[in-house]
Amino acid sequence: MLELRNLSKSYASGRPVLSNLSWNFKAGEFVSIMGDSGVGKSTLLNLIAGLDTPDAAPGDSPIIVDGVPMSGLDDDAATRLRRARMGFIFQAFHVLPHLTLLQNVALPLLLNGLPTARAAEMLEAVGLGGRGDDFPHQLSGGEMQRVAIARALVHRPALVLADEPTGNLDPDTAHSILSLLRREIKATGACAIMVTHSQAAAAMTDKTLQLSKSGIQETTIVNSFKQ
Amino acid sequence: MNHPMMPKPPRRDWTVLAMLAMVAVLVVASFASLPLKWREFFTLEAVNSTLELLAGFAPPDLSTPFLVKTGWAAIETMAMSALGTLLAVLAGLAFSLSASGRFGRPARALMRALLNVLRSIPELVWASILLIACGLGPFGGTLALAAHTAGVLGRLFADSLENAAPLPEQSLRTNGASAGAAFFYATLSQTLPQMLSYTLYRWENNIRAAAILGVVGAGGLGQMLKYHLSLFQMQQAATVILAMLLLVALVDGISFALRRVLTR
Repeated sequence: MLELRNLSKSYASGRPVLSNLSWNFKAGEFVSIMGDSGVGKSTLLNLIAGLDTPDAAPGDSPIIVDGVPMSGLDDDAATRLRRARMGFIFQAFHVLPHLTLLQNVALPLLLNGLPTARAAEMLEAVGLGGRGDDFPHQLSGGEMQRVAIARALVHRPALVLADEPTGNLDPDTAHSILSLLRREIKATGACAIMVTHSQAAAAMTDKTLQLSKSGIQETTIVNSFKQ
Repeated sequence: MNHPMMPKPPRRDWTVLAMLAMVAVLVVASFASLPLKWREFFTLEAVNSTLELLAGFAPPDLSTPFLVKTGWAAIETMAMSALGTLLAVLAGLAFSLSASGRFGRPARALMRALLNVLRSIPELVWASILLIACGLGPFGGTLALAAHTAGVLGRLFADSLENAAPLPEQSLRTNGASAGAAFFYATLSQTLPQMLSYTLYRWENNIRAAAILGVVGAGGLGQMLKYHLSLFQMQQAATVILAMLLLVALVDGISFALRRVLTR
């Protein structure tokens, strides 16, 4: 589903952030990425999403999404790929305040020119059925993140990228949100990559990768879902 | 005596006192430099001639043909203000995109300079210039209103766009929305109520300005007023002034009601 081949990234100052990362992410896999602050976790998500460009020689493509080399895409093509094949979940939710919950969830469908009927189904699936006409200011943080999850998955993306999705939530709400995310990912067969600092959050994923200056490697975390 | 627990009061800033002294000097200098003839103004003769002039306005001409003529002029004034404001909204919105820095800093500085020029020239001056180009009548007046108001609205719209929360638009771009879709869904919809409120306020101003613009030949009630005052037809002039007051009150009322609905 997603292939990283010797992925490297340096800042404009020349300071390296990521060096020669290689990994294969499979469809239907829920993977967490952990690591110290500043090690490049969010940079890695931005590179995968095509929001930032990796260091690569001309012709090289260190990121391949769903068989498509990201380096070969111009800005418009990367935008179209993100729109059709990716879903994003952010720590601060990023739900549009002036749109109703139903309109927020329907947005990826509208942008992709798809029928919007599935938006109500997704709201129902995340436990917010019947609240489609509410506005985000009427919701708690946990409910807002449910809306964000519904929005990220409504267009059946192949790849879901989540940056600290439970960072603003209390432990119980975080657990319930991650259970929901896991259930929906498994139902749609998407590959999900979640950046987190939380061991408890990482324990709810299929696989945890540790990102460090020396590279990326799988690490073991007690995982109730694996047992 | 200060309470021992109270913090020390802030020191008096001498610059405030200096500013107040400067304002006082300016006020005194203004009175001294202008040839204000207060003594002549308050003489019995001046009061009598003023009362005589005012008495000439009564009663206003309420004959049906003149009321119909005034009604048509009021509609022309209203149309000038509405069309002028609409053109200004379209131009202001287009200008505000670059004035809010969406196309880079040089374009922002250039557009802001253009907006400064547009709005620093008053409607009357615009009308005098445009009437030479367009000829007498409401067309030049409408363009004059549009030119000045585009400068005002362009600046206000640009400030609204700059102050809008950037995260919703960024999040939509991340989700694969095109630049246009992200702008319309996230930023424009955030700022739209404020922009509508500014537009209604400027429409209120433009209805007054449209009435005045007629004086330089731009049609509507202003042109009628100038015509009747020049011929000392005070009763007809009184009717026109009353129509102006009614029109302004009507538009103020509509605009106030609409702005209340928008900000609810």
